[in-house]
Amino acid sequence: MILEVRDLRKEFTGVVAVDGVSFAVREGGSLAVVGESGSGKTTCARIVTGLEKATSGTVELRGSVQMVFQDPYQSLDRRQTVRGCLDEVLAHHRKDRSRTAELLDLVGLDRALGDALPRHLSGGQRQRVAIARALAAEPRLLVLDEAVAALDVSIQAQILNLLVDARAATGVAYLFITHDLSVVRHVCEDVVVMSRGKVVEAGPVARVLGAPEHEYTRRLVASVPRAGWTPTRAVSRD
Amino acid sequence: MLQFDDLRLRVGGTPILRGVTLEVAAGEAVGLVGESGSGKSMTVKSVVRLLPPGSRTEGAVRFDGVDVSSLDAAGLRRMRSRDVAMVFQDPRAVVNPVRTIGDFLTEVLRDQGVGRTEATRRAARALSEVGIGDAVRRLHQRPYELSGGLLQRVVIAAALLTGPRLILADEPTTALDVTTQEEVVAILNEQRAARQVALMFITHDLELAAAVCDRIAVMYAGEIVEVLPAAALHAGARHPYTRALLNSRPGAVAPGERLRTVPGVPQSALTAPPGCVFADRCPHAEARCREVRPVFDGSAACHLLEAR
Repeated sequence: MILEVRDLRKEFTGVVAVDGVSFAVREGGSLAVVGESGSGKTTCARIVTGLEKATSGTVELRGSVQMVFQDPYQSLDRRQTVRGCLDEVLAHHRKDRSRTAELLDLVGLDRALGDALPRHLSGGQRQRVAIARALAAEPRLLVLDEAVAALDVSIQAQILNLLVDARAATGVAYLFITHDLSVVRHVCEDVVVMSRGKVVEAGPVARVLGAPEHEYTRRLVASVPRAGWTPTRAVSRD
Repeated sequence: MLQFDDLRLRVGGTPILRGVTLEVAAGEAVGLVGESGSGKSMTVKSVVRLLPPGSRTEGAVRFDGVDVSSLDAAGLRRMRSRDVAMVFQDPRAVVNPVRTIGDFLTEVLRDQGVGRTEATRRAARALSEVGIGDAVRRLHQRPYELSGGLLQRVVIAAALLTGPRLILADEPTTALDVTTQEEVVAILNEQRAARQVALMFITHDLELAAAVCDRIAVMYAGEIVEVLPAAALHAGARHPYTRALLNSRPGAVAPGERLRTVPGVPQSALTAPPGCVFADRCPHAEARCREVRPVFDGSAACHLLEAR
């Protein structure tokens, strides 16, 4: 296992955001943590990457980790060129600077864009830069927090293909934090379903999303718009 | 009831809409689907003339046969407060944060001369119709005390209160969780059917549009490239862009298979080629596609379809 999270708990002044959560990511594997807002999925991701400290529980990481965020408009330095951004990471991690061009190729960015500033790039191109920057450090685990949620459908498809390719090329493992079940089906092997800070169901994607056992997972799967879908009003939970 | 007749829009000289033609019948729900910059929001905002400063329009938008650009201030106010209601993505941007839900709901009714007791009674009924229990307590609450999904239902209740004939909904569920989205959409469908209200529903989610609407209009770079019945979304899509949108969703292929993507990025009316707006990205484009603008044949605008 590249990552093992055991009995994680996180309290924010009086609120339990994460409550006894355990999961693991295989070497080169791809695990999704799904749930709705307030489920605690992002808090888990932030604890794994060290942005947040757990109240209790353990995180065992065998290798380096990098993170890609939802909003590429906020995660890049607006005064730094694409090449500058990648060079900095490569230098910091004592990697070969000549890899910049290779990284641009890996994420499908025209090498000519190396001199561009973030404001000259589209949202999809910025997210490619963010992914290239994360991969520059040659991490063993990439945490992607809603990394394709803000993108247009046609761009999201390009980025998803890129993520599949990058994993095949580098053997990096993914921890995918998302609310989008179709993305989970496409890029992940295993899934953890969270609700109100707890894991309600976990297992292989095909089993959990194909034949969900927990009531909440069933509701989540049933509420995704799809061909022939008729939305129904659930018993009011308010 | 609503008619867009070759609507063109420029904002400060920049083209936004390149000629939108579309009709919405009384009681009909039409979905506007497309990626960012396609002009969906501007099309809908032009109905109530909520356009940015420096906007210049050509062509016409007619509501009940009346060109909305000919309305005076009183006529426009009347249309906005009685005939047409709007629901936006972020309910918190719409509801006054320091006033109560009751104030928000009764404001327009009071403005129209309805008495306080009657207005409150109607507001409470409107809340229960959109599935909000304990209406009396809710009327005394303030927006910060309600979740996003609950507040969006309050906005829908407000939209229905004045008995409009058209609702303009711009990504009304995009900020909500999927389970909440299902509830809000179910309520919208229910109330719309019961009241025979027409709807223009903007979304980037084709399946959601199909579940809510009778017809779907697909927009790209300031134009409508295809209009099709919602039931025919999968089998009947003809335009290469509609097909590309359908094919690029992760559910379109078996897990592990490559998504069939279109190269490039979504364009706006400014950056799109002078001929067919989709020609730069279309896998089937020919020379004439870039130069000659295809004619909308009632269902799609595409040279390659004309040939067949």
